[in-house]
Amino acid sequence: MPGKLDDDHELIKKAKHGDPQAFGDLYECHAPAVFRYLYAHLESRMDAEDLTGEVFLKAWQSLPNYIERGVPFLAFLFRIARNALVDHYRQNNRLEARAPDDMDGYHADESAGLTELISNRMEHQQIIRKLGQLRPDYQSVLTLRFFGELSPEETAQVMNRSVGAIRVLQHRAILALRQQLDETG
Amino acid sequence: MTGQETIASILEKHPQDAAELRLRLESLTWLVDSRKNLDPRQGFISSSRAYIEHKIESISPQSFWQRVLRRYTPQRWVFNIVAPAILIVLLVLVVNSLVLSAQLSIPGDPLYSTKLTLEDVQLSLTFNRVEKADLYIQLSRERTTELVELALEGNYELIPSAARRTETVMIASLHALNNIADQYQASERPMLSELRETLTNEIYVLNLLKSSSPPAAHPGIELAIQTAQSGLMALH
Repeated sequence: MPGKLDDDHELIKKAKHGDPQAFGDLYECHAPAVFRYLYAHLESRMDAEDLTGEVFLKAWQSLPNYIERGVPFLAFLFRIARNALVDHYRQNNRLEARAPDDMDGYHADESAGLTELISNRMEHQQIIRKLGQLRPDYQSVLTLRFFGELSPEETAQVMNRSVGAIRVLQHRAILALRQQLDETG
Repeated sequence: MTGQETIASILEKHPQDAAELRLRLESLTWLVDSRKNLDPRQGFISSSRAYIEHKIESISPQSFWQRVLRRYTPQRWVFNIVAPAILIVLLVLVVNSLVLSAQLSIPGDPLYSTKLTLEDVQLSLTFNRVEKADLYIQLSRERTTELVELALEGNYELIPSAARRTETVMIASLHALNNIADQYQASERPMLSELRETLTNEIYVLNLLKSSSPPAAHPGIELAIQTAQSGLMALH
């Protein structure tokens, strides 16, 4: 992990000097975690992909302020991701869902088999349904810790709580999830 | 949970905590399994990386000050300064016109109580004895003018209460004049003559009005005349 942090530090330094390649490396390194976190909250894979891109574009724009704030880079990214989710929910309440052709930049992968697609979709629906039954803060702590792969310290930064509070919250969230798994089967 | 270990093998190693551990391990297993289903589709990260790199070349990072300045355009700054200034000016104009209207009001007007309150405030903020005596005389003149205006407008039913108010302020004026009589004789004399002149004029006008008013109004006007006369007597 320290090696990764040092790499991040170097890449961030280069990105702050306007190096798109360095930011691309950061993207490649952290985008899967951000995507998983977003996809665990969203019905549509395409929305999650779209939002992942948005999160990194916003991160790029806010990069000059990043060091001054003294927040770990992942926590910084996930804060943006959390806000992007809130904005997305707000927008979704107001706007009709966009047509797939409307998505700016990239398109769904059509090469995957139909059976696999349906199976993935059903499993994803189940994850959303089970997590959706939990309290919002339980959902946040589980998705940040297990899907976003954040450390307790980083999770604490994203959720604006102490590390101790995050550990307690995680413990309770895991027990609540077990109960949920029992109930829904 | 990695390698060859299973939930059962871990529970066997820690039988005393088995119940608690089972719950946690089952949840954790579910979370770890679920993570696989949330992974991005193959090729997404590399294709979107190219898109992101292409996109950010056209967007330069913005510093804190750039973002603040972009948010607060010159028009917005002007608006932020001008809007409160206009509001303050409007507020001052409204308050000013209210005060002016109150000062011109007579008994029975909606703003008359405001006028009396403003006078009380003015009195309580006047600490110099000579200035206070002068203010009382001005108020006496104001009350007597109100009496005349009430009679002229035919509001005879309001004259008795107005006469009582005149009496009160006149007594206060006489007290104030007595207070400064020893030390400020030079200042007292013009004030005395001013008050005397006011009361004499008022008695003259009220007598004129009495002769032209209906008999029902006479008691009220009489009371006002008596008040003014007693003030004159006290001055002598």
